[in-house]
Order: sequence, then C-alpha cells, then structure tokens
Amino acid sequence: MSPSSTPSLPLGTSPAFAGMHKWLKRGLIVCLTALVIEGAFTVPFCFIYYGWPTLSLQDVCSELMRVRYSDDNVVCQYPYPLFGPAEGELAKKTAQDRWGVLPRPLYKRIGFRELVTIHNERLARQAASKT
Amino acid sequence: MSAASMRLGGGHTALDDHDDKSRQAQRRADTWMISGALFLGTAILGFIGLPLYLRGLSIQSQAERQGLSVRPVIVTLIGYLVIIDAALNSFGWALDMIAHHTLVARVFLTTWGAMFDGGYFWHYNELWIGGATAPGEKSWEIALLPVVFCMRLAAAIGFLQMKRWGQQWLVVTCWFGVVAWTGYVANMTIFADVRYAHVAFPVWGWWLYDIFYITPFLAIPYLHSVNREIFSE
Repeated sequence: MSPSSTPSLPLGTSPAFAGMHKWLKRGLIVCLTALVIEGAFTVPFCFIYYGWPTLSLQDVCSELMRVRYSDDNVVCQYPYPLFGPAEGELAKKTAQDRWGVLPRPLYKRIGFRELVTIHNERLARQAASKT
Repeated sequence: MSAASMRLGGGHTALDDHDDKSRQAQRRADTWMISGALFLGTAILGFIGLPLYLRGLSIQSQAERQGLSVRPVIVTLIGYLVIIDAALNSFGWALDMIAHHTLVARVFLTTWGAMFDGGYFWHYNELWIGGATAPGEKSWEIALLPVVFCMRLAAAIGFLQMKRWGQQWLVVTCWFGVVAWTGYVANMTIFADVRYAHVAFPVWGWWLYDIFYITPFLAIPYLHSVNREIFSE
C-alpha cells in the first residue's frame, strides 16, 4: 500500500510532504485572490489617482508628458498617426535628467490627483497672460 | 464479486461507469474554471471571473467528496494560477510591445510608471520600438512574453490534463520563472534610479504589488515533491 493512498491525504501527496503541500495550497489561494483584486483595481486606481474623470484620458496623458519632459507645450496626440515617429522622439530635448552610466530622472513625484491642480493652475496662468 | 463481474449491460463495468462520471464531473468543473480564468486573465474583468472560477472549484471538491476520481485541488490551483499569472503579465506587456501608442496604453502604462515603476514613465515611447525605455526592460519583455510565458501556458494546460509531459514542462518553465525573477529584479536594482526615483510608491510599492506573482516559487516545491505516478503518459 503506497503512502499516497492514505485516505486523508490528497492524491500525489505523501505523509512526509503533507504539511508543506497544505501551506503551499494556502499560499496559492492567497496569491490567486490578491491577483484578482489587483487586476481588477489597478487600471481604475491608476486612472483616478492621476485625475480621471475630472481630466479626460487625453488630458491625463498630456499632463504626464509635460511632467516627464518638463515642458508645458507638449501634447498627447490622439489618435496617434499610424506610421508616425515614436512619440518621445519629438519631445526628448526638454527632458531633465542627470545622465551617466546610471541615469537619474529629475522630474518630481506626482501626488494624489495633483495633475488636476497642475492642469487648472496652468489654464489660469494662460488665461491671465491673455488678458 | 469483482468489479469486472458487475456488468451494467453492453460490457460496461462499474469501473467504466465511475470513470465516465469522474470525467464528466471534471469537465463540468473545468468549464466553469476556464470561463473564470478567461475573465481573470483580462485583469479588469477579474471580479466577474472569480465567482465563475470558485464555482468550478467547488464542483470539483464536491465530486471528490462523493468519491469520484478528479484532479487534486492543489494541481488545479497551480495550473490555473500559472495560466492567470501568464495572462496578467501578458496583458501589460502586450500593450507595451505592440499597442504603446494607443491612448489607453499610454495612459495605463505611464500612470503605472509614475506610480510604481519609473521604467514605464521615464522617456516613455522614445525608443524606435516604442514602449518602456528602462535599460533592459524591452529585452526582458521580448524574452518573457513570446517565449517563457507561452511555454508556461502550454505546460500549465498539460499539467491540468494530468499529463506527465505537463508536470515535467511545468518544472522546467517554473525554473525559467525563477531565472526571470532573479534577472528582472537584479536589473531593476542596478538601474534603481530610473525605476524608483520620484515615483509615488517606490520599492515597497512595487514589491507589495508584485509579490503575488511568485507562483513559480510556490509551484516548484510541490512539483518536486508530488508523486509523479499520478501524472499519466
């Protein structure tokens, strides 16, 4: 009678590994549950953190580009021309980095919905400069 | 009275009947679990998938309690988790490799980048190939997405079918996964300034999010300690 036919043990599990298999099963269930929650919430959380739906997706894209390239004049083209150049090719000259073998970006950390504030302040500045 | 003498008509034995009922129960459970896994793999529709998947798991557990010969629960969990892990990774990386100039991909990937992993934010879409520009990132995507994750998916399908080649190939591809984790994390560590400088939730945020993708590390101890005789040729 082989160890794996012991009634209380799952098929394929011998008594020596029963404890390990039990904890592996629990770990797998935790991973599965976490992956489901993460998968479902990542896109909405990212979008909301960076200002959607107050800002449209195109505005969010443009604001992130402005932070990335330290340039208020860049805009996310939508729809992007099918055979156009890589998007960053047109904007890369203004990017602020400390270059070297280990480059370090110099843009600032963006806080929760801070892009909305940045966007509104720029619109206010542009309106003020026009008057 | 032996099982062979318990004929149920037309040469059909009780063993055949048990076998048929077991296969039907397993197929019924797998229909629910495959449907669930399809939704789970899309990430955003994951909450639709979870109840479907759990329904399938409960049908399988019920069949096991009734004495039918179904797959062990841990084999089911490992197989489907490998599939879902591969699908979730593929979701983001497929967007980054071939859909990097669509609006939704640009917003999703750069927001992910600004939040957890600066490699998807820093100079995004500046390479001729598009997408993430962090040193080594594109190479990892090309190595893992069309090669390793496809292999893992195929191995998981064979594993769920209780085939010997499935178990063997899952061992091989899970060790590939260990190599992938080691190389990817080493790359992120060496180029940590690009990856983590000025992101919203840096090192701890990335690890808190990505630690649940450690399926290979959980599968390997099981695959090496399970009685391989339960997997058929």
